[in-house]
Amino acid sequence: MIDHQLIDTYAREISDEKQTSVITGSAASTEKRYSILHQDYEDPNALRKLAGAIKDHTLHHLDRYLEQAESSLKRNGVQVHFADSGDEAKETVLKILQEREITRLTKSKSMASEEIHLNPYLTENGIECLESDLGEFIIQLDDDVPSHIVRPIIHKNRREIARTFQREGIAADYNDDPETITRRARVFLREKYMQAQAVITGGNFISAESGRIVLVTNEGNSRFGMAPSRVHIALVGIEKIVPTDRDLGVFLNLLGRSATGQQLTVYTEFISGPKDDSQPSGPEEMHVVLMNNGRSDVLESNCREILRCIRCSACQNVCPVYRQASGHAYRATYGGPVGAVLSPLLFGDQFPDLADLPKASSLCGACNEVCPVDIPIPDLLLRLRNKAKQEHIPQPGDVPMSPFATLATSPSLWRTAMTMSKAMNHLPIEVAPVKPLQEWLGQRTLPEWHGGDFRKWLKDRKK
Amino acid sequence: MTSRDRIFSKVRSALEGVKDKAAYPDYDPAVLNSAPRLAGTLTEAFTRNLTAAGGNRIGSPAELAGFLQQAGLTRGYCDPALMDAIGNTLASHGLTVETVYDRSRYEDYQFGITRASGAIAETGSLILDDALTSDRLAALSPWVHVAALREDEIHRSVPDAIAALGPSRNVLWATGPSKTADVEGILIEGVHGPGEQVAIFI
Amino acid sequence: MGTCLCDAFYDDVARATVEVLEHLGVEVIFPENQTCCGQPAFNSGDWNASRKVARHTAGVFAGELPVIVPSGSCAAMNFHGNPLQFEECPDASVDSLAKRTWEVCDFIVNGLGIREWKGSFDKPTRLAFHRSCHSRGTNSGEAIIGLLSSIGRAEVIPFGQSEQCCGFGGTFSVTFPHISGRMGSLKLDHILESQPDILVSGDMSCLMHITGLARVQGRPLEHKHAIQILRDTLA
Repeated sequence: MIDHQLIDTYAREISDEKQTSVITGSAASTEKRYSILHQDYEDPNALRKLAGAIKDHTLHHLDRYLEQAESSLKRNGVQVHFADSGDEAKETVLKILQEREITRLTKSKSMASEEIHLNPYLTENGIECLESDLGEFIIQLDDDVPSHIVRPIIHKNRREIARTFQREGIAADYNDDPETITRRARVFLREKYMQAQAVITGGNFISAESGRIVLVTNEGNSRFGMAPSRVHIALVGIEKIVPTDRDLGVFLNLLGRSATGQQLTVYTEFISGPKDDSQPSGPEEMHVVLMNNGRSDVLESNCREILRCIRCSACQNVCPVYRQASGHAYRATYGGPVGAVLSPLLFGDQFPDLADLPKASSLCGACNEVCPVDIPIPDLLLRLRNKAKQEHIPQPGDVPMSPFATLATSPSLWRTAMTMSKAMNHLPIEVAPVKPLQEWLGQRTLPEWHGGDFRKWLKDRKK
Repeated sequence: MTSRDRIFSKVRSALEGVKDKAAYPDYDPAVLNSAPRLAGTLTEAFTRNLTAAGGNRIGSPAELAGFLQQAGLTRGYCDPALMDAIGNTLASHGLTVETVYDRSRYEDYQFGITRASGAIAETGSLILDDALTSDRLAALSPWVHVAALREDEIHRSVPDAIAALGPSRNVLWATGPSKTADVEGILIEGVHGPGEQVAIFI
Repeated sequence: MGTCLCDAFYDDVARATVEVLEHLGVEVIFPENQTCCGQPAFNSGDWNASRKVARHTAGVFAGELPVIVPSGSCAAMNFHGNPLQFEECPDASVDSLAKRTWEVCDFIVNGLGIREWKGSFDKPTRLAFHRSCHSRGTNSGEAIIGLLSSIGRAEVIPFGQSEQCCGFGGTFSVTFPHISGRMGSLKLDHILESQPDILVSGDMSCLMHITGLARVQGRPLEHKHAIQILRDTLA
């Protein structure tokens, strides 16, 4: 009998080394986020609430803003493509590339492209697509998947990376100094940038009003990739739209601070179209692929607030379960609290397979507290747990709750159970199958049983 | 039915289920301003925040020449329009200053001096507007990027700078040097772009 | 509202709640038919079961009177969890309970307007306050810290990563025993590092978990509910 949830088992088996990397990294990010927001603002909460309200408004009128964004983008000379599914998005990108006989490109980090596994698809079709974000580059070399939204290789240490560089011929010798690793990637990737014919990016925000796409990176990789490329393709989820340019200020101020404790991400790029005559350089063609891939299903669900997410990873960093289990434990592109909500919904036909993810939380609420767009993640986790229950998806170690409900709605039975020492076995935490209970008690002791003592005291003093 | 039609029809049908549609929250962009970051004059705030982001403000072309020489960076690019203000002084200090950025020799430029269209005091960001800047790579490939701007071109805050984005197809805010913390969370500057982001007033 | 944990284990916490409230001139009524707030079923996703329990509780506490609970978690179940599980099937009695429920220290500070505690320890006492997760976004944490800090010879000391959960989470600790245990041990490390005399919280569930782990690990720790501290230091 499996008593434990998959994520708990994963956490049990993870190496100490990997776990230390994840815990240290995410705790440091949590601290940086907290200190910069509180240094800079008297009431950071007011900003989060504002950002959440702007996103909510946009999502509730997404049809209107999507239309407006489309026409603004077109006005700017951008070629707009719509992709309802991940497959359509991949085919659209491939078609653009094939029609232009493009075979070499770079890609800056994009969670949307991770979500649809764009890279392996392009490789299968004979296109060399090199990841240019340092972390993603290492992930690609290792044929791994990112375990964190902002820091894809948070689960790796310098020794593993140095071995990869040596194995893949990025460097002739083994050197695990982080600065040397970075310099070696710098030299290697520059050559690739200069040979690339196109660049694929994601998009952090699109202003419906102006059609400006905002891209942020710390490394400058999207900018470098764009400089020599003739074609720029931005793959963007339809939920990334904000109403106006003014709103961009709200999100930019929160994104850098929430993600990495920076006021702004180093390279914040506002792109509103392909190169025009006023510019000395830049891609001559710009394509925006607006991707649905399940987002409209999420919008229809009672968890639509998760679409506010701006992918800052603050919830991941602060989450005690994520820290113990690491991102890979969540078995899908998005890990941590946001992933526990988004993955089962976004990958809709897989809901039963991923229905355990919402259980991977003590519902401590730290994720909501740090969320720059105030997503009530614990509420969404609870709604998904209820959905799993209603759809009769069995969960390992689940405790049957109807005996508890019967006990808790029968006051005299409850009182009797309290005063009888053997009643311990009928209490909520005790109705669990025996093995988990034994395990629980292996690590913890229960306090002394005082069932009914308070009620007796009350009665006695009234006499 | 095209993909576009399918998406719109799915979104519209999803939204039918939303009972209370949220109104647009009216707000004053000033709520975004960080008072401690804005303390002092615009120049003071800009310099302080640039430094906090790992950037560097250099007072004069002669000082810049010394800074580059000390770092052993003797060859670079200067926007021709900035030769009088900066480039010639560097040349007179014995540095090699080219006024054409040749992409095939991108590794040859150890410094790049380009015109910034402005800056943001609140964040220490440099604003590079494609329409005003020479080759993007000149601000990206050299180890030191020097952004030249006039002191009166500093915007106060992020909302102010957004309001001033203008019609340009590409505007970049660079806040400090290119950086990463991907390897064990250790901050390394100069990943793909410059390891030194310098501002100089003209 | 006494909570099932006080009913079963922590009778003295319920007692302290009554004594402190009475000391402040509040008449305390304890409806005999109360059981549990229903949270175990609610958190497990079995909302049919938890709604039954919530309706029972709302019935037991029907009326106009404020409902005072010595637990941030059970209080939050009443004013946050219940509205969530009844959003598709509103229930007036459950709504009414939500509006009248207070965590006890929040009630003392923000309901009764008592900001300083007229009481003192016999000797200088270092208190580590664990803010329970269910009091996030409520006034309880600040209320408790305010009251504890105003006690004579008390010092509320900070400790590392205080925003982190103790790992209990009810059935979470059963189905995720490994992660839950690790979370609790980390919490314990941070608390012990600050060398407190007493660990204080507004939720016995967290204290039960932390000290349950502590005892097995041979690192025992004196612990009390905030309301017990208030009673014990009364002048």
